[in-house]
Amino acid sequence: MAELHIIGQIVGASGFPQNSLFCKWGVHAGGAWRLLSGLKEGQTQVDNPQIGETAYWSHPIDLHYATKGLQGWPKIHLQVWHQDSFGRCQLHGYGYCHVPSSPGHHRVNCVTWRPLGTWQEQLAHTFVGGGPQLRSPDTIYSGADRYRLHTEAMGTVELELGIIMSRFDKFGVES
Amino acid sequence: MAETWNTDTGEAIYRTRDAIKNMKIKVRIERLTSAASLSQHLQQQVLSQQPDKKKKKKGDVELEPLAALGQKGDNEEELVVGWQEKLFSQFEYELFQNEHICQSHLERQYHSEIKALIKGKGRRNIRIFTYTDHDRYTNMLPYSQLQYAEDSLTTSGSTPTFLAERMANVRHRRQERHTIDMGVPKSKMINWEPTDDFIRNSHVINNAMQTMHIMGDLGPPGRLGEKSNECLLLTIKTDGSGTVVVKPDFNKGKEPYRIVTEGEKKEVWSLRVEDVSEAMKTEDKDKEHHMYRDLYVRHKDYLNSLVGQDFEMPPPGTLRYVMNGEIVSAKGFEYDNLYIHFFMELPNNWSSLPFHPLSGVTQTCRTKAVGKDDVAFFSFPFNFEAFYMSERESEEGVPQWPALYFKVLSLDFWQRYRTEGYGYLLFPAVPGKHTVKCHTWRPLQTGTVSALRRFFIGGSPELEEPSYVRIPGTFKGQRLSRFGFSTESSGSVTFNLHCIQQAHAFVDAIMLKKRRQKVVDQLGGFSQQGAVCNILEAFQRARRKMQEARESLPHDLINATSKLQIESTA
Repeated sequence: MAELHIIGQIVGASGFPQNSLFCKWGVHAGGAWRLLSGLKEGQTQVDNPQIGETAYWSHPIDLHYATKGLQGWPKIHLQVWHQDSFGRCQLHGYGYCHVPSSPGHHRVNCVTWRPLGTWQEQLAHTFVGGGPQLRSPDTIYSGADRYRLHTEAMGTVELELGIIMSRFDKFGVES
Repeated sequence: MAETWNTDTGEAIYRTRDAIKNMKIKVRIERLTSAASLSQHLQQQVLSQQPDKKKKKKGDVELEPLAALGQKGDNEEELVVGWQEKLFSQFEYELFQNEHICQSHLERQYHSEIKALIKGKGRRNIRIFTYTDHDRYTNMLPYSQLQYAEDSLTTSGSTPTFLAERMANVRHRRQERHTIDMGVPKSKMINWEPTDDFIRNSHVINNAMQTMHIMGDLGPPGRLGEKSNECLLLTIKTDGSGTVVVKPDFNKGKEPYRIVTEGEKKEVWSLRVEDVSEAMKTEDKDKEHHMYRDLYVRHKDYLNSLVGQDFEMPPPGTLRYVMNGEIVSAKGFEYDNLYIHFFMELPNNWSSLPFHPLSGVTQTCRTKAVGKDDVAFFSFPFNFEAFYMSERESEEGVPQWPALYFKVLSLDFWQRYRTEGYGYLLFPAVPGKHTVKCHTWRPLQTGTVSALRRFFIGGSPELEEPSYVRIPGTFKGQRLSRFGFSTESSGSVTFNLHCIQQAHAFVDAIMLKKRRQKVVDQLGGFSQQGAVCNILEAFQRARRKMQEARESLPHDLINATSKLQIESTA
């Protein structure tokens, strides 16, 4: 069995219309993968930047996976939310990206999108907030149902990930 | 008196895994007076002349050393001190004899110890004494030293900085180690009103060291016990995890340190410090080493059992190509509400798993303006797996890699549907992370009618066969001509690709530590094992033929030829 270490952080997010943001993140892998140590999901704190546009979280990610096969390589899913001064939370984007498969230090910029409703819903959204959310974010991994969605582009989440792969070369894997 | 002094009085940091209570330090102080040095000099002279005892010259003066023998303790002292061993100074000895002075429990303990000493043999130290961690002087010393620090800067009269004061005032109390990771109590994360005490303890790095000071009473003989003559000889600090800080460092055979006393009569003392802790015996060391090794081996076995040994391999002779990619974004297109429809194409010798989707459609995304361009974010991950098997290795060198064809389309609120661009992407031959930006074009029909149609009702020319983007599948000739086909440049699509390749042959190559240079070598030379068998078989066949031929020839010819062969090789 080969082992994969993912050690890094969610640095922050930028490009969103409002700045006071937090992020719910999770890592999802296929059936052949087993998590040996580390938390595979979490939620960052709310960051309200005073200077500049980027909200910084510096949230640590430290995972140790063992795997029996190459299928189902881990993917990171992110949900960026905005918390306003009244304490209300509003969705600002979903993002999905793969964990890099080559060892070393990677800067991953994961872009996000937000689902759009009908034009009446959009109008209400600008005044009152709210807006449609995905019922279950997990089904989006397969990508089969995505064509039904109508979305709009939102900001980018920046991640820094260090990948360490162990014993993959003994099984003839080149990456 | 021309001895050289050791001026390196900085602290030294040692690390140990053993218990600190096993530490023993030998301290030796010696006063250097002119009389003492002269007597030493003369003694040396006498000693050097001693081998000639028989020839005693008349002019020799046998001198007694000027220092009286009985006063040896006044000018030098040597002592072995253990960790946190409390040795009393003359001042403390006299002070704690009175029971009325003792206020705290510690002082009463000292009082009883001193009474026991008086009844027993008396103190074994005269000038050298210690302040342990519990004495109140231990904490005051660094701060008072700081006030009189002369050696840190050349300009005298510099007061200690804010941070230096804070560090010196840090209480040496052992703080609770907060469990890191998930042990933080959620209700008490923020301290809204920190007290002064809290600030003092947490704003400065507080390592909770246990300290011990070895002091020397360097007063003139007969006048011991005055507080002003006390001088700090050695400081030993340790924290709980095996770091020992010794200031100044052990002499280790080099020159001694020099101490100059304050006061009217400046005297010079020399200080030597040595570490005389008992070393661990080799058997014990070996036992400890074996124990640690067993522990680590067992832990490694446990981890291995969790992980397991098997790994899914492709069948031998095939290359498995795994691509984890994502469509990141599209930018620079004419209209809004874009979506991408993509599919993979496998050339000859490539196969893929059944029931595995080879195509996909992303969601429709409304663009937003980033700088001058309109960008649509898709963030659409896809997976793909293919197998390559070549039957004959002697084919042309470069194999064909699969390609991904995509088309970008826009669909707006009024259900107008337009093609925005076609593009393709070749799977990279080198595994790793690739960020590819593909540019697209769309077919153009000349004339205003089609432009108007595209604008008002949607609908634009499409390619009948998407693989026309690269090389059409039906193309068989030598030169591809696209003459007459007009297109218009369109925007670009960005992909992030992570490629992994796996083959049995890579395992062999790594074992043999060969570097694979050619692409064919990278593919492993799949029939390598087959090729070796072929060669062996061919060799066996040739050998058999030769043996048969040999048998058919007459015997004398064979002997002659064999003799010739022997001669030629000799």
